[in-house]
Amino acid sequence: MILLVDMDAFFASVEQAHHPRLRGRPVIVCGDPGRRGVVTAASYEARPSGVRAGMPLAEARRLCPRAEFVEGNPHKYVEKSLELLEIFLSITPDVEPFSVDEAFLDLMRLGERAGRRQEVIELSRALQQRIADEHGLGASIGIGPNKLIAKMASGVQKPRGLTCLDEAEYRRLFWPKPVQELWGVGEKMAGHLRGLGILTMGDLGRARPEVLEQAFGVVGPHLREAAWGHDQTPVVPYHEGVDPKSMGHEVTLPEDCRDAAFLEGTLLRLADQVARRLRGDGFAGRTVTLKLRDHRFQTCTRQRALSIAVDDHLAIFEVAKALWRANWKGEPLRLLGVSVSALEATAGSEQTELFARDARARALQEALDRVRDKLGEASVVPAGSLTHRRGLGHVPFGPLAKVAARKPERRERPKPGRKDAP
Amino acid sequence: MFESLNDPVDVLTSFVGGVMRPIRFRWQGRVIHVREVTGQWNRREGHAVLRCFTVLASRDESFELCYDARGPRWILSRAWNEPPR
Repeated sequence: MILLVDMDAFFASVEQAHHPRLRGRPVIVCGDPGRRGVVTAASYEARPSGVRAGMPLAEARRLCPRAEFVEGNPHKYVEKSLELLEIFLSITPDVEPFSVDEAFLDLMRLGERAGRRQEVIELSRALQQRIADEHGLGASIGIGPNKLIAKMASGVQKPRGLTCLDEAEYRRLFWPKPVQELWGVGEKMAGHLRGLGILTMGDLGRARPEVLEQAFGVVGPHLREAAWGHDQTPVVPYHEGVDPKSMGHEVTLPEDCRDAAFLEGTLLRLADQVARRLRGDGFAGRTVTLKLRDHRFQTCTRQRALSIAVDDHLAIFEVAKALWRANWKGEPLRLLGVSVSALEATAGSEQTELFARDARARALQEALDRVRDKLGEASVVPAGSLTHRRGLGHVPFGPLAKVAARKPERRERPKPGRKDAP
Repeated sequence: MFESLNDPVDVLTSFVGGVMRPIRFRWQGRVIHVREVTGQWNRREGHAVLRCFTVLASRDESFELCYDARGPRWILSRAWNEPPR
């Protein structure tokens, strides 16, 4: 049996656990609440108002005016995720973190117990209780004979739900449902399937494999198998690791923008962030993708394949800039994103050959990386991105610079020599 | 809602059993007693690792404190600015 543990409204729940005043209140986690952006996560108290992740903050404020808007803190969530991983590993070593708030647990090593449905359900309930007692968080758990069914089952009851399905139960439950409820089927593919007369998961299960193969290539037959609840994908324990498929960054601009210099500075900053992550994790990529979203929420993604893998910000920036110039018609933009895919480890000889072409640039890059590793990301930045950073209220040298920059009259300061020392 | 501050503060700290814990701190002329540490995590700034705490104070106020061993110093990074209930 396989479990999928899905933490309920994870980011918002961590904030509620850390700040008791937020408990029982609608909480919306976002970027800087004072600026424009989108909802990162919404607590279950906010969801009845219609607030959803990805929604513009202005709309969330209109739907749920009494919500508390909290600036998200990735460090907090990652650390909590690692603490939860320790709990999962106390049950089985076969744990695959699927995202910061989801993990698959393969119970195979528990032997016969793993095959007994009631025992697995009891183990799952105990796991939910432990997560609640030790961390004050809710988790929904899906149980199934494979990852697909466990994942689908985890969404059946939320929050703090527990659903166990075998293949027959899975089909009974999901076949009447719209085809886009199948894990991995997005709106675009669902539209394509509807065009073939496939409206429900049952329709997909009954579809002729050759029709699906013709429409979707090798993915087609897999879709049909998924509708039947068949999945052979193994749980990959976290210590074996899975190489990432892509790395990217995107930013919602403070306001709709058609200022070419500002947009270019933004692209440079995003390319720099992506390049730093690539180098930090030892990857380079052969495909650069640009994402643009305009003021009407129309999203356009364009990508370009390269003959060599790259991991430096200028190479990524030049491609992203070319894509932007070719596809931007001057309309106001609200979001920009840059990502790199077709990743390969940089230990290969091809990288060596690539870097040898400009050894000095590489040496400079490595020196700058060392400075940033030691002093922080903001210690050295591409000059072209500085205008952009000022526009976003960026703090160049960390919290202390912010303290120094603050007007002294803003807040009453404790007088030196007071006797109320802590 | 939370207000971002990043104010340097003096914090009376206990180190018991290898565990660091803020006890009370002085801010805006007040001495604030930490009633409960409700969360903690690490934040990286270059090579430095800051230890951060969310704390509940005696008047039900919430704060976020970060200990930076480079100083060593404490920073009050955020405060809940709603009046106490």
